[in-house]
Amino acid sequence: MSAITVSHLQKNFQSKRKTAGLTGSFQSLFKPEYNPIAAVRNLSFEMESGELLGFIGPNGAGKSTTIKILTGILHPSSGEAKVLGYTPWKERQKLAFQIGTVFGQRPQLWYHLPAIDTFTLFGKIYELEDAETKKRISFLAEAFEIGDLLETPVRKLSLGQRMRCEVAASLLHKPKLLLLDEPSIGLDVVAKQHIRDAIRTMSEQEKVGVLLTSHDAGDLEALCHRVIIINHGQIVYQDKVSNLKRKFLTRKLVEVRYAEEIRKDFALKGMETLKTGRYGVKLTFDTRATPADAVLARLSEAGTLVDITISDPPLEEVIANIYQESASEPSELPCLEK
Amino acid sequence: MKKYFAIFRVTLINSLAYPGELIGRSLMILPFMWIFHQLWSVTFAAAGAQEINGLTVRSTLWYLMLAETIELSRPRLGNTISEAVKDGSIAYILSKPYDFLLYHYSTSLGETIFRAAMNILLGGAMVWWLVGAPPNPFGWPLALLTILGAWTLNFCIAAMIGLSAFIVEDISAFQWIYQKFAFILGGLLIPLDFYPAWLQTIAKALPFSAMVYSPARLFVEPSLPAFATTLAMQLAWIAALGLLLVYFYRRSLAHLTVNGG
Repeated sequence: MSAITVSHLQKNFQSKRKTAGLTGSFQSLFKPEYNPIAAVRNLSFEMESGELLGFIGPNGAGKSTTIKILTGILHPSSGEAKVLGYTPWKERQKLAFQIGTVFGQRPQLWYHLPAIDTFTLFGKIYELEDAETKKRISFLAEAFEIGDLLETPVRKLSLGQRMRCEVAASLLHKPKLLLLDEPSIGLDVVAKQHIRDAIRTMSEQEKVGVLLTSHDAGDLEALCHRVIIINHGQIVYQDKVSNLKRKFLTRKLVEVRYAEEIRKDFALKGMETLKTGRYGVKLTFDTRATPADAVLARLSEAGTLVDITISDPPLEEVIANIYQESASEPSELPCLEK
Repeated sequence: MKKYFAIFRVTLINSLAYPGELIGRSLMILPFMWIFHQLWSVTFAAAGAQEINGLTVRSTLWYLMLAETIELSRPRLGNTISEAVKDGSIAYILSKPYDFLLYHYSTSLGETIFRAAMNILLGGAMVWWLVGAPPNPFGWPLALLTILGAWTLNFCIAAMIGLSAFIVEDISAFQWIYQKFAFILGGLLIPLDFYPAWLQTIAKALPFSAMVYSPARLFVEPSLPAFATTLAMQLAWIAALGLLLVYFYRRSLAHLTVNGG
């Protein structure tokens, strides 16, 4: 069953244009000119119930606008969308009982009060019984490891702690769908890992669908089954995350340590040397041109191997390549793969 | 309605998060009342009268204390909505299962109560010290009830100004105009009784007088007929402006642009 169905969704904004200086200001006052901006262009996609779908794109790609249309905050210029059977901008309040939202850059917790006060308030807002709210708070406190943070004023929490409380608050009413807009923005590596683990666990335990927007490919790798990459308001790629990795992660990184010192001009056929140390070397190769077994053979011929690591390059690099391809001709964006 | 009471309650608790700030802001009423005392004492003395159009120095000062309390404690709702649109936090308010307008009404009242109580406490103590006890103790309950009507009426207008932020980029001009109307036609600086008859007629026919003048005047000269008239006037304006607000809200929603993506 589909949790989200989006069909030919379009959102246009009017952006005021003003030339520089005082003359420009006067001109703009008497004869304002506007630039039409299509934040979302003819967007169509589906998301299954319980699915973890990544909505990835650079800043200004239209991710947040789409999520705001799907929560009913913005009205689209044209097109259709159904979220859990509701048309968001027409049935916003009914839909609100079924979804949880986190807009990573804005707090929903009351800043000067302890998080527990916001949790209790949300219990009332989502019309839960007091006993049920208490039970749910205890459960979420354990799941998100926030038990000892709940009575501290939100302003005194670190960003990572606050975000865990934010996501936990959005799950208080057991939503069927969680819409997370940049939940890991500004977090350090450990805090990101913490929040990703908690989201994944909750999604598995409660079968909550997660639509996650991010420009951090790490979120996608850690959480999502499927990915939609959006740029200039259009889909440029959608597929399973595993397929994305297989198709675009053809380059591998190899880090090797030898027992003896290596030459400064260390090089092997079919491989590019990225960095050379006294005993170690970092190389990259394309699996389509050089098979992995050939690489291993050549590396072991070059000396006595002490340690070897073969890894994928960061997914950011892969997505950057897809962006670059799509950015070159924004008006005729190719849909790379379905 | 439970959820709106919960929202009101949390805002009330939130307004006590910084008691120093709450008291500090309310201290503003002290110099205001002292200046009004100097101004009106000199004016009454110059006119050589104990009473002008039914008001003495004492009743004028108590009138102004209540009028200032209404003005100083009313939440700056226009700014709140406008800021929420500008910084994008409106996204949360609109994605929760409550009515946007009732949510803001609940938070407005929650923000106002303690601020008003502090203004009455400090301003009242100052005026009592300057001119003596309030003219009639019966004025307290009647005025306090109509203050609720005044805040509701203020909410309707302030929310409409705030909602215009959904469409225009800057609402400060509307705020400025509204404040000046409330100052002059609401009787905030000068009781409407001191205006020429024709201006009094105009001012009393507008909603601003029901927001400031009527409750303050009722406080210094309480009577059940005046109370009934004030209440009827307020209810009529609340009904008219409330309907307009709901209509305006529905229209504005389609124009909303949320900043920050």
